[in-house]
Amino acid sequence: MEKKEAPDEFKRWVNEKWGTSKLPLGGTVPYHTAYAYKTGDWSAFKAVIDKEKCISCMNCYYYCPDAAITMDDDLKAECDIEFCKGCAICAKNCPADAIEMLRVTR
Amino acid sequence: MSREVKGMTGDEAVAWAAKLVNPDVVAAYPITPQTIIVERYSDFVNNGEVDTSFIPVESEHSAMSACVGASLTGARVFTATASAGLALMYEILYVASGMRCPIVLAVANRAFSAPINIHGEVTDQLVCRDASWISLFGESAQEAYDETIISFKIAEHPDVMLPAMYGIEGFIVTHALERVETLSKNQVEDFLPPSRVTNYKFSPDEIMTFGSLVLQDYYMEIKRQQEESMQKAYHVAKEVMEEFTELSGRTMEILEKYKLEDADYAIVSYGATAGNAKAVVDRLREKGEKVGALKIRLFRPFPSLDIYEALTGIKAVTILDRSATFGSPGSIVQTDIASALYGRENIPTLHGYINGLGGRVLTLPEIEEVHEMSKKYNEIGMPSTLDWVGYRE
Repeated sequence: MEKKEAPDEFKRWVNEKWGTSKLPLGGTVPYHTAYAYKTGDWSAFKAVIDKEKCISCMNCYYYCPDAAITMDDDLKAECDIEFCKGCAICAKNCPADAIEMLRVTR
Repeated sequence: MSREVKGMTGDEAVAWAAKLVNPDVVAAYPITPQTIIVERYSDFVNNGEVDTSFIPVESEHSAMSACVGASLTGARVFTATASAGLALMYEILYVASGMRCPIVLAVANRAFSAPINIHGEVTDQLVCRDASWISLFGESAQEAYDETIISFKIAEHPDVMLPAMYGIEGFIVTHALERVETLSKNQVEDFLPPSRVTNYKFSPDEIMTFGSLVLQDYYMEIKRQQEESMQKAYHVAKEVMEEFTELSGRTMEILEKYKLEDADYAIVSYGATAGNAKAVVDRLREKGEKVGALKIRLFRPFPSLDIYEALTGIKAVTILDRSATFGSPGSIVQTDIASALYGRENIPTLHGYINGLGGRVLTLPEIEEVHEMSKKYNEIGMPSTLDWVGYRE
């Protein structure tokens, strides 16, 4: 799947954690889609998927409230940690026990 | 220099000055005692004397919302309100400053309900002190006229980009017919750039996100920007007032010092009360008392250091505050002055007097009595007092 990229200015803003002196005034920012919000850095857990165990049922894909699960070319589940909030709904709903939640330390 | 003189009420002065500025958009809702501003201005629009788009709205909340939307497109925007109208705008005041819309708002200061009252009191504007708006007070129709014009220049300065409000007291200034020295269209056009500078324009050609959701990770940075711009607004206000002094030949400063140089006592006030304070100073000077007056024109950003410099060396200060605050350690302006002076050397004792609520008049002899009270407080060593004056017990 093709990912739409955020404008360069916005990516720099997010990656470099701009402060008062550099941020645009009044929170006015270049237009972009939700792809630019790397909200995965909120998470305390991350989903680690064992592709050997994955039976391609796509339960996790549909249950994920943040659309952070994608399917690879072999139709095995993958977790996009840039958006995963670590809610573990995928792990609870995996019939094959293929998803493990690991504590994230920063 | 053309110095035409006209008779105008405070409200009319605001409308006529706004006509010279010729803003792109005016969105306003009528409320006493501001009504004449909007009435006169809609006449100008109707007669084709200005290029303004006038948006008649259904409330003040809508008025300020329309102003924010218009301002984001890069328009120069003006509105006016009072009392309950300003309170209804309160939510959107923060949106206007947060989205950096240099809107100019004329406030015909009026008491809050209940009991319902339409007369002069400055509480409505003072309680907006934390909304990141530049806040000015005018003493007369002349100052209402002048401040209309300078407010645009301060607010729209690229270093500031914050909205500005300026207040004149309901009926006492808004409805009193006074002598006003007017400016010519050319003079105002030379003083104020024809259009304002914008960083981003809300337009179909520029795709931007305005008013985005900003949470814990960036909110404080955006708010801090407002504070830094507010600090710059202090310097900009000084520069603009100097420039306006040159243009109009009328001295305009963030603080007006009246016979303060050798004074032992001072009367601090703002708005219409300042006229009475100066008259009392003259009466007391005739009796040989060393008294001066200080008028605060710029309330936000608060000119702390200037106030310290004006009041240092004075024994006792009488602060006349035409605004109500309840259970507070001092009147609203008194607490600001106290913060500005705290810990500095050679400072006066501060005596705040809540007076004139709902348009009640504090007469000159009453101000003299209050001044005597301050002297007594000072003699018995009370550093800070707060009293209500001018009411029946």
